Amino acid sequence: MELYVAALGFGLISASVIAIAAVGFTMQFGITNMINLAYGEVMMVSGYAAFYVNQAGVNIWVAMIAGALAGAALSFVLNRFLYTPFQRKGTNLIGMVIISLAASLMIANLMLPLVGYDTSSYVIDQGQLLRWNGLVLTVAQIAIIVVAAILMLAVHGMLRYTRLGKAMRATAANPTLARNCGIPTQRVISVVWLITGALCGVAGVVAGMDSENFSVASGAGYLITIIAAAVLGGAGQPYGAMIGALIIGLVTELSAAAIAPEYKQVVAFAILVLVMVLRPQGMLAKRGALAAAG
Amino acid sequence: MNSYYAATLAVYAGVDIIACIALNLQFGVSGIVNFSFIVFQAAGAYTAAVLSMPPDSAYGGYQTYIGGLQLPFPIPWIGGAIVGGLLAIPVGLVVLRKLRPDYQAISLLVLSVIANSLITNARTFLNGAAGIAQVPGPFSNQVDPLAQSYQLLYVGLTLPCVLLVWAVASRIVNSPFGRSLRAMREHEVAATAIGKNPVQLKMTVFIVGGVIAGLSGAILVGYIAVWAPSVWLYPETIILFAAVIVGGRGNNVGAILGALLVPVGFEEATRMIPPTIGGWVPPPNLIPAMQWVAIGLLIIGFLWFRPEGVRPEPRRVFEGAPVREDSERVLKS
Amino acid sequence: MRIQNVSSSPDRAMLAASDVYRHLDGVLAVDGVSIEVPKGKITGLIGPNGAGKSTFLAVLAGTLPASGGSIVFDGQDVTRMPAYARARRGLVRTFQLPSEFARLTVLENLLVAGPHNRGDSLWGALLGKSYWIADERRLVDQARGLLQRFGMTAKESDYAGTMSGGQKRLIEIMRALMLGPRLLLLDEPMSGVHPSIVLEIQSYLQDLRREGLTILMVEHELHLVEELCDSVTVMAQGKVIGTGTMAYLRQQKEVVDAYLVG
Repeated sequence: MELYVAALGFGLISASVIAIAAVGFTMQFGITNMINLAYGEVMMVSGYAAFYVNQAGVNIWVAMIAGALAGAALSFVLNRFLYTPFQRKGTNLIGMVIISLAASLMIANLMLPLVGYDTSSYVIDQGQLLRWNGLVLTVAQIAIIVVAAILMLAVHGMLRYTRLGKAMRATAANPTLARNCGIPTQRVISVVWLITGALCGVAGVVAGMDSENFSVASGAGYLITIIAAAVLGGAGQPYGAMIGALIIGLVTELSAAAIAPEYKQVVAFAILVLVMVLRPQGMLAKRGALAAAG
Repeated sequence: MNSYYAATLAVYAGVDIIACIALNLQFGVSGIVNFSFIVFQAAGAYTAAVLSMPPDSAYGGYQTYIGGLQLPFPIPWIGGAIVGGLLAIPVGLVVLRKLRPDYQAISLLVLSVIANSLITNARTFLNGAAGIAQVPGPFSNQVDPLAQSYQLLYVGLTLPCVLLVWAVASRIVNSPFGRSLRAMREHEVAATAIGKNPVQLKMTVFIVGGVIAGLSGAILVGYIAVWAPSVWLYPETIILFAAVIVGGRGNNVGAILGALLVPVGFEEATRMIPPTIGGWVPPPNLIPAMQWVAIGLLIIGFLWFRPEGVRPEPRRVFEGAPVREDSERVLKS
Repeated sequence: MRIQNVSSSPDRAMLAASDVYRHLDGVLAVDGVSIEVPKGKITGLIGPNGAGKSTFLAVLAGTLPASGGSIVFDGQDVTRMPAYARARRGLVRTFQLPSEFARLTVLENLLVAGPHNRGDSLWGALLGKSYWIADERRLVDQARGLLQRFGMTAKESDYAGTMSGGQKRLIEIMRALMLGPRLLLLDEPMSGVHPSIVLEIQSYLQDLRREGLTILMVEHELHLVEELCDSVTVMAQGKVIGTGTMAYLRQQKEVVDAYLVG
């Protein structure tokens, strides 16, 4: 029983990591209708950016900023110079998926000669091990959960209360109408990719902190749980992604305790498949994965 | 040219051609973005392996796997093809029904990653990460596999398979059925409005493609004698996609061309890179990494500049058609 | 071109929709709509933008499933039937936005709609050309007949995607006719079409009605509706607000308020 309570704790950390990533991922989809399969690789690159800063003696929590900046820059460049030109050309959804897959392949393989095949780890002071009613977490792990909570609140605040947030929601709902109402949709989209890129960057660093080590190959692994959380919550729905991340995080950790740790991704995949078969639009979305009707 | 090298090239080319024809049927002709294609090739390879090998006890415990029926050629190859097709049924039923196309694609991609991970972790099923080794090729009891004559034999077995697959695919693509597939690719909803059942069409193509993919795996495993998860990681499918995009979508000649240009031509070209370039020794893993970067560039480049590929889908002109004004090359039907 | 013989009584409706509902994005786009489409006549479906006409048409055709209500086509309940099955039974629709098969030639666009082609299955394809060539030739003749009737013979081998808006519209209609439909659901057939082609399409539709085809047509141009349609149903905000001839409808206050401007 204690095992499961501890797993619950791990589930919260997992959910925190996934939430930061999934919210960014789903917002990229919401604003540009783009399933950015290079998202995992951007996380990985950001993780390495923070790694090198960390190696230079900077505390990992500060180095996280480097990760956020790297993520923002890379995501912005991807959208501005690769995705947008193809979308303007009229490439269909499938073509965009193939392109983002090609981009992810290129990013990963450009990183390999630079950082090598070996795994890397952050220098991080985990702090005291705290126990409470069976939950066993270090201070650093609790900090991750706190960071995630703060970021989720920040996203919520931005979407709900700022002009930018309103412009984002309008552009996501109906770009033509938004443009006709005077919203500078191009600029809004660029800003969204900067912000979600930063989220992606932070997620990459936090994921690296959560696992013992990471490597270039980690990128693809991240993507599966992120997609599962985003689809579960409803494509393009940030609040859905938060809930989806919570569910995926908890369920995968609990099943890891129940079955075996290697099958975490399989469980996430199983959830993804179940959602797609039973409720393709996810929990919160009104439109979503369902094939377009006439 | 070394005849072993030529034979190896021929067998690899044959396998890649067969695989590209199958992927082209699914993707180029019917618009199904099967990002899990390599899984079906792997299923065929594993099946052929466990059908042709002796029971795993013969290896004294150094590899564990199911099966081991030691069946003679051509049963392992037929078995591989059948399993490739059977696997397509549950996968297709789950993924190909109500999802929008990009969701279908990522589900299949994720499936590919997960399948690889599952086989790696299930150590007694197909010997996990180490994979299966010492797979006997067809007639390896009668002909010494290390002899030159065996190389010729293998090419002689591969070639008819290539021709058979090409003939089957040609019949499909150049028939009214192929036309229905292309219509579904162009505008699925309009296709339903004229009485086409998209689920049935997609399932059919998915299964046929799975059968052919399985056959390609069976042929390959008999030649290289090993098969492990590292051989069929998800990016392998992307190479085949690059081949179909570069060679030309929607037609078999384009698929063959793509197979020769990308997996074959590309690999051979990079083999020519000298070990030192003006005194600089590139790190050992740089070339493979750059190959992948180049594959990505090929895909993006062709999708931008020439999405129809080197050899585009031909225009179908029927007997008795009025003469067209421009001089574009036509294919008489 | 064949129009299938219908063995039903002359005064039975070809299509009867009862109390059809359809949710779309959380809104009731179709709110309890009932309609009867009489056989061998052209019925118009008009209404302001956003009235739910196209959605309703899509539900009738099966492209969108109904959230409630029933649809009976020539005596058969097709409410649960998918779109392709309805098309095979003779309930065929066209689309408001161009929906030609772009990378197929004009002739192929028609051929692909031809039913009863032995080559249109996996086994038929595998058995080879000699198995299906007879069916194919028959369909080519039928298609060429339609192309001649609609004046597009010269374009037979052109890619449908390169055709003009009006030509695409004609291709869609011809494609629908290849199926030998008993009821044609036309979604704004004249929209975006050059005025000279509009006259052509008008005369084709009148010919088709004379040959016994039933048509339900969503259309905005009221003078066309007046010339072509035997009866008209008006929709607004997802509901039916009037049915009858145009003259009758012009006198109904609700209709005038909602829609007609003189």
